[in-house]
Amino acid sequence: MTDTAIESTMFSRTAELFSRPGKIILTFFEHLGRYMGTIGWMIYNFRNAKEYSGNILQQMVMIGNNSIPIVLFVSMFVGMVTAVQSSYQLYDWIPRSVVGALVTKSVLLELTPLLTALVLAGKVGATITAELGTMRVTEQIDALEALAFDPISFLITPRVIAGILMFPILVVFGDFVAILGGMFGASTIAGIPIEAFVSGMKSSFDSWDAIFGLIKGTVFGFIITSVSCYQGFQVQGGSEGVGKATMNTVVLTCLSVVVMDFILASVLL
Amino acid sequence: MITLTNIWKRFGEKQVHKGLDLEVRDNETLVIIGRSGGGKSVLLKMIIGLIKPDSGSIIVDGKEIGTLTYKQLQRLRFKFGFLFQGAALFDSMTVGQNIELALRRHSDYKDTDISERVKYALELVKLTNVSHLMPSNISGGMKKRVGLARAIALTPKYMLYDEPTTGLDVETADGINLLINELKTTLGVTSVVVTHDIHSAFVVGDRFAIFENGQFIMTGTKDDIRNSPNPEVRKYIESDIQT
Repeated sequence: MTDTAIESTMFSRTAELFSRPGKIILTFFEHLGRYMGTIGWMIYNFRNAKEYSGNILQQMVMIGNNSIPIVLFVSMFVGMVTAVQSSYQLYDWIPRSVVGALVTKSVLLELTPLLTALVLAGKVGATITAELGTMRVTEQIDALEALAFDPISFLITPRVIAGILMFPILVVFGDFVAILGGMFGASTIAGIPIEAFVSGMKSSFDSWDAIFGLIKGTVFGFIITSVSCYQGFQVQGGSEGVGKATMNTVVLTCLSVVVMDFILASVLL
Repeated sequence: MITLTNIWKRFGEKQVHKGLDLEVRDNETLVIIGRSGGGKSVLLKMIIGLIKPDSGSIIVDGKEIGTLTYKQLQRLRFKFGFLFQGAALFDSMTVGQNIELALRRHSDYKDTDISERVKYALELVKLTNVSHLMPSNISGGMKKRVGLARAIALTPKYMLYDEPTTGLDVETADGINLLINELKTTLGVTSVVVTHDIHSAFVVGDRFAIFENGQFIMTGTKDDIRNSPNPEVRKYIESDIQT
């Protein structure tokens, strides 16, 4: 190979090395812009939401009611695990009532909102993207537009409103069951009397902790439903595109939720 | 009347439309014939503003689509019925709900009137007792008919058909062709049909536009097309003779 040819190959490899991250960054901002545009359009046309109140109720059932079993199941075990592990880590160092305080604080502030969101990112987010993605590839969204409907108001707004309303409610259910689970785990496995657990719980309870958990639930509900709707609307191609978008939704919503979790904790606590 | 002037459209590297000009006259059925994947369906979607051309103008009843606000565009869409290639029925709704959706949203009909209207639209496409069925429980031909019933529910002025007979057996396809002709007579609609099926085209069409490589290579009547010496046009005629 001549010197010129080697130089040319090196140049093209270097160019490729820099162009790939550049393309990724451009694509990210392109999608961010489109996502913000979709949210902006949704807010601008929010007055139309009342016309689709039936859709909102339907989505509240899908997102809320249908998710109750999994949220309660996860919360119960989260509470039990937190109680057992707290007791194991702190057994020799502190009064037993502290386990009740620790479980309550951890559950209200962090564990229930975060784990509920992560579980629902998979369940609700994936369902929404697959549903809307299939509607996109089978031209059902085009058909809505052809029938003079605004597909964002008809399909996205009801899902986002349902997410914002139902996620905090699920968090409340999760909080109750997680604390009950913690009480059960502490008393049966760690041998902590229920009275001690309740006493610790009462002494440490701060209503702001519960409110903070609800704020998190609301924000996570918005992120999960809006991102999954956006992903569904952007699907291209056939079933392969739907699968890819669904996977992207789960990854993106999980990442967004943990980042937002940190931001909220930093700002509000 | 619908007029398309100098339409250009590119998707990525592919230039799908290269300066198209087309006129759809009132009360006629214009058939656009071309091979699959060439950009014919895109053209239909451009007419109702679902896809924007890169350049060129589309004028419907004197209104330039590109200059309309979103609300104005939605109002213009009331004039159109669109039969999608796969019917595009909303699969979470029953057949009846699919048809009444636009009626509930865009008309002042009462519940009883809406039920009558749904029944009438289904009768026009020769279907009865299917309102309660889900789209997943009906055949491909029935889906097309329901799609047609949904499209005509608001009595449109224009009907756009995207490959109406694709994926159907000959008998069902002939049934759809007859329906297209009947709807033209009954409702007096102006139609644009996109197809690669020359047999169906000749059954339903008054005028024909042959679409090849992003351009209309010929526009004319059935006789003009049949007598054309253009080898690209002859290709379609010969495929009809063979079938």
